[in-house]
Amino acid sequence: MLNTIMKSKVFGWVDRRTGAEAIIKSQLTEYPAPKNLNYMWNFGSLALLVLVLQILTGIFLAMYYKPSAAATYGHYTVAFDSVERIMRDVNFGWLLRYMHAVGASAFFVVVYMHIGRGLYYGSYKEPRELLWIIGVVILLIMQGAAFFGYLLPWGQMSFWGATVITNLFGALPVIGEYLQQLLRGGFAVGDPTLNRFFSLHYLFPLLLVAIVGGHVHALHVVHSNNPEGIDLTKDEEKIMFHPYYTIKDAFGVAVFLLFYCYFVFFNPQAWGFFIEVDNYVPANSLATPSHIAPVWYLTPWYTILRSFPDKLVGVLAMGGSLAILFALPFLDRSKVRSARYRPVFKQMVILFFIDVIVLGYCGHTPPTPTLKLVGQIATFYYFAFFFLLLIVPKFEKTKPVPEGI
Amino acid sequence: MKLKQLLVAIGALAVLPFAQSAVAHEGVALKHAAVNLEDQAQIRRGLTVFTDVCMGCHSATYITYKGLMDYPELGLNRAQVDELRGEHALTEGLRTDLSAEDAKDSYGKVPPDLSLIVAARHGGPNYVYSILTGFEHDPDGRVPDGNFNEYFPGHRIAMPDPLSWLDHEEGDTAQLEQDAQDVAAFLAFVSDPHQNQRHAIGKWVLGFLLLLTLVLWRLKVEIWKDVKH
Repeated sequence: MLNTIMKSKVFGWVDRRTGAEAIIKSQLTEYPAPKNLNYMWNFGSLALLVLVLQILTGIFLAMYYKPSAAATYGHYTVAFDSVERIMRDVNFGWLLRYMHAVGASAFFVVVYMHIGRGLYYGSYKEPRELLWIIGVVILLIMQGAAFFGYLLPWGQMSFWGATVITNLFGALPVIGEYLQQLLRGGFAVGDPTLNRFFSLHYLFPLLLVAIVGGHVHALHVVHSNNPEGIDLTKDEEKIMFHPYYTIKDAFGVAVFLLFYCYFVFFNPQAWGFFIEVDNYVPANSLATPSHIAPVWYLTPWYTILRSFPDKLVGVLAMGGSLAILFALPFLDRSKVRSARYRPVFKQMVILFFIDVIVLGYCGHTPPTPTLKLVGQIATFYYFAFFFLLLIVPKFEKTKPVPEGI
Repeated sequence: MKLKQLLVAIGALAVLPFAQSAVAHEGVALKHAAVNLEDQAQIRRGLTVFTDVCMGCHSATYITYKGLMDYPELGLNRAQVDELRGEHALTEGLRTDLSAEDAKDSYGKVPPDLSLIVAARHGGPNYVYSILTGFEHDPDGRVPDGNFNEYFPGHRIAMPDPLSWLDHEEGDTAQLEQDAQDVAAFLAFVSDPHQNQRHAIGKWVLGFLLLLTLVLWRLKVEIWKDVKH
């Protein structure tokens, strides 16, 4: 089909003015990709799909949403009312809003799978360090965008979640208090906070688009890693992105949409994981919910924060747990990329995945002394993983990597 | 990771929330409410309980009188709605006549709006049903009758036994339970009034996607058949 289009007169006219054919060839039909990529390599294209879905649904939601904490009838507010108006009175507003809310969680599901794949197969290693680092920037912006977005419905969890997180900045020395007030637009979370969070929630995805562009560009310079983690030198080890990976990605998209649409149409709250039960209660600055927890995708870092009795140490640890991802390519100096040929690293990285899930569980569940201890042990391993990477290559007996595939 | 392993992993993760939800919510196990959101008769009966009893103090401001006609789940006719609304405008939400000040004087707090009560409570309709049929004598004798509720967190509830459940006669049990379930059904509908439509569309969407997945899978296999990997 693509060939027919490219032979057409109209395409020729465009091509002579843009060089479109050269772009399509270099990026798709003659872009070589390893032929042995497994299904873990589908999550990058899925992340791109969800980003587009979030932006499209978000644009339409913003046409009806009103960022104002002004009180209306029955303890509700203008913002809360506007969300309910979208859910009830706007034609297919419920679809837009549930797609957006489920999409936020779906975005993190696919991005965490994508990051996990990069970790397991050593995709952060030379020559892909910068590709990895750009990816970490994307993760941070995503977390910011999600955090800003969660305030907008102005429910109890919106309000108290934002209060807890903006409080953290207050713990920083010297600039803390100023930073906190700058974020809130006042001394407490209120109407000005809602307005600036809405503005930032619109800004961050635009930043994402630009940086994702950089991420894809960097990928097309260094090319994809592969499950064996070896450099591919022979032509027969590669296949063209189109049609082989376009069809494989399309198949992945269909499978993803099955899961996504199940949640959108049949379980949009996902048992309180995607939209917390308490967020259907309008924000009330005088009534603190019995248990405040962020949405699931932020809970691992929340546990790291809570694992330290001193607030400042906790804040620094939480910041450090994300910042250390930037350093990963330089901490791990092993020449072998894929965990398939690194027996010690393989155990470590699988334990790391379990560790992050445990951290997430601890942050989601109301704290008990046992859970707190479990969270602290998990926090310890989280950091230990990165520091162990410094010494592992010195004693790890790697298996011989294959010559080719 | 092969596709099969990936699906197994996704399946394992999908079970996690169930294990989670079993432990996450503190307090007594709620009673199960028999609620059917496709049963127009039940939702209509629930509306009657709501307007006759609940609306003495509570509002459901997000459902309008016009909505009572427009949503097929209720499908009231104009005459029925006119009788219900009296002087109120068609576009007005179902609001109580009890003022916030009077409510505070009588009960110590303003009764919450019930538009989203089912979405806003763990257990949803089961919570509403359990609360309404959960009024008991305090076994410790501390909370006065009418304010002790087995299912309310902390057991002390400001709402005084709306269905007169406490010390009701044996013969009335079935009727009171039915009333409580009906109003739970009405409130479950009100909390997300497009849910039936959503489910109906969702079946077609998933059906289409299932077919699409199948076609794309066969296409993938066909395109890849010459690639040795």
